Amino acid sequence: MSFSEDRFSDDSRLHLAQIIDNINAGIWEYNINTRVIKWSAGFYSILGYEANEIECSNHIFFDHLLYHQDKAVFLNALNDQSANSAKPIQIRLLTKSSGYHWFESTIKKQYDKNGQIIYGSIININQYKQAELKATRNDQHYGDTIRIAKLGSWEIDAATLNLTLSKQIYDIFELQTEIKLSIEEGVSFFEPPYRSVIQNAINNALEFCQPYDLELLFRTAKNHVIWVRAKGVPIINEYGKCVTIRGILQDIDSNKRKGLSLESSLNLLTDQNRRLQNFAYIVSHNLRSHTGNLQFMVNLYEETELAEDRTEIFSHIKSISSSLNATIEHLNEIVKIQTEITNERSIISFEAIFNNIQLAIKSNIEAFNARIEYDFSQCPQISYIPAYMESILQNLLTNALKYSHPDRQPHIICHTMKERNHIYLIFEDNGIGIDLERYGDKVFGMYKTFHQNPDAKGIGLFITRNQIEALGGTIKIESTVNIGTKFTIKLV
Amino acid sequence: MIIAAPSVNTCIIDNNQIYAYGLKKLLSIKDLCKQVTHFNNGSEAIAHLKDPGNTQNLPDIIFLDIIMPIMDGWEFMKEFEEIKSQLGKKISVYILSSSIDLHDIDRAKNIPSISDYIFKPVDVKQLQEIFKNLQGIARQ
Repeated sequence: MSFSEDRFSDDSRLHLAQIIDNINAGIWEYNINTRVIKWSAGFYSILGYEANEIECSNHIFFDHLLYHQDKAVFLNALNDQSANSAKPIQIRLLTKSSGYHWFESTIKKQYDKNGQIIYGSIININQYKQAELKATRNDQHYGDTIRIAKLGSWEIDAATLNLTLSKQIYDIFELQTEIKLSIEEGVSFFEPPYRSVIQNAINNALEFCQPYDLELLFRTAKNHVIWVRAKGVPIINEYGKCVTIRGILQDIDSNKRKGLSLESSLNLLTDQNRRLQNFAYIVSHNLRSHTGNLQFMVNLYEETELAEDRTEIFSHIKSISSSLNATIEHLNEIVKIQTEITNERSIISFEAIFNNIQLAIKSNIEAFNARIEYDFSQCPQISYIPAYMESILQNLLTNALKYSHPDRQPHIICHTMKERNHIYLIFEDNGIGIDLERYGDKVFGMYKTFHQNPDAKGIGLFITRNQIEALGGTIKIESTVNIGTKFTIKLV
Repeated sequence: MIIAAPSVNTCIIDNNQIYAYGLKKLLSIKDLCKQVTHFNNGSEAIAHLKDPGNTQNLPDIIFLDIIMPIMDGWEFMKEFEEIKSQLGKKISVYILSSSIDLHDIDRAKNIPSISDYIFKPVDVKQLQEIFKNLQGIARQ
């Protein structure tokens, strides 16, 4: 080890060299004029060599030790005129036995009597560099992952109720700048029906340490309505109190919408399947029952000799024949619903149709002395298949009369209602009602009758429901025995 | 002539009037049973079974339809299971239905007090078999 300066005595210089050799660093020196290069013992040892094991030369350094891609960095630093204030450079050098390692070197320039000297110290920074590269890779990976997952993270401090949001949250909010938001302001981005849901979830997490995982509708700053997943997990202190809620907000819009549309097509299929099953049931049960009876009566006719028996049997055969005919006609009506669905819808007036029906069954209404009221002012018109609407109203009206309470004057109220984008038809009576707990799921089934009414055929409500559902609506029933029945029909 | 077995008392629970008439007639023509009671639904039959005035007049055999208004065959079986131990008489119950739905058949199989499931209309030989067995049991 030698130093070009004469400031030190030989002893102290030697001593200094020993100290330097013992720290894990190497020192190099290069004289620009003489092109002489010098390495300290530490220089060799941090590269894994014994001192003087390899030739100390420019050629060895540039062609063997220095990684070819880092040559430019090193040469630039050497040529830099302001090298004295230059930052240390990071280069890769080939070690004796473990390949290239990262090193950091300072570069200093100095003029002395021997000319211009450049010197520096190198230390092995391989571990830190590897860790740094790994951290950068992880950061990149993390950034990519959350971007792909459309995920942002947030935190609420329980004491101050301060809300901290990650950059990705602002992306989901579609906010240009990362402005500070209060919890309340954050909640206001959710669609109105969901605001109380998220607010309650946050309150429960703060108060009772309950985690939550919700799927909610959200309106971004750019007015896009999207589905998001909001998940929060309370972090507790040693007393079990929530100190922080940490959570994520994820844009799950495309998945959720796919799921919802899948769900609605599943519902549609389930509905159609149910109707098909009902159809199969009618064919298997009702037609079978009629044909079985017919066969039975014909056999009996042959068995018996008595004329009076034969007369009676024949009268039964006649009645079976007409029942068979009626069943076939009912099946026809169901098939007709499916074919009429392609018929054009037109704008129809509820009042006009309702009055027509009242006129058509005038004698029936008078026989029951029924009081019928209607109010279609909230929605006087609808675009619908006229034949369906006539059939629906007529079925409901005749049903209400058929099942009116014997002890009181039938009172029937019919009105329309508009809510959001839907049109509802409400139909109420004060009739005998039906025990829905017992028959609930069967009310709209075919050939389901629940009272000992001789006129009951179990076809009206089945047809009504099919017509309503064929046009994408729904029908719901509420009823109390001896009080009355209310049908709520979502038409469109 | 063989002395007629203690006359069998049959009960039909079916809302189908024509079928009930036919079965009654067939039992009479085939000389299987003269004493036939008919109920339109399970509820009427339960009322009859429960009536203390009918203790001497209980059926030996019940032909039960499944689909009926007011109280269907399944609901009848539920009530029947509850009261049968108090009736003091063994009553054989046969489901007599036009349903060929496997679900119905399995359901009937799982009710211990149902002897068999018969499809409508009815096979005369099967009826004769049922009544022969019944008289055999009655004699023992």
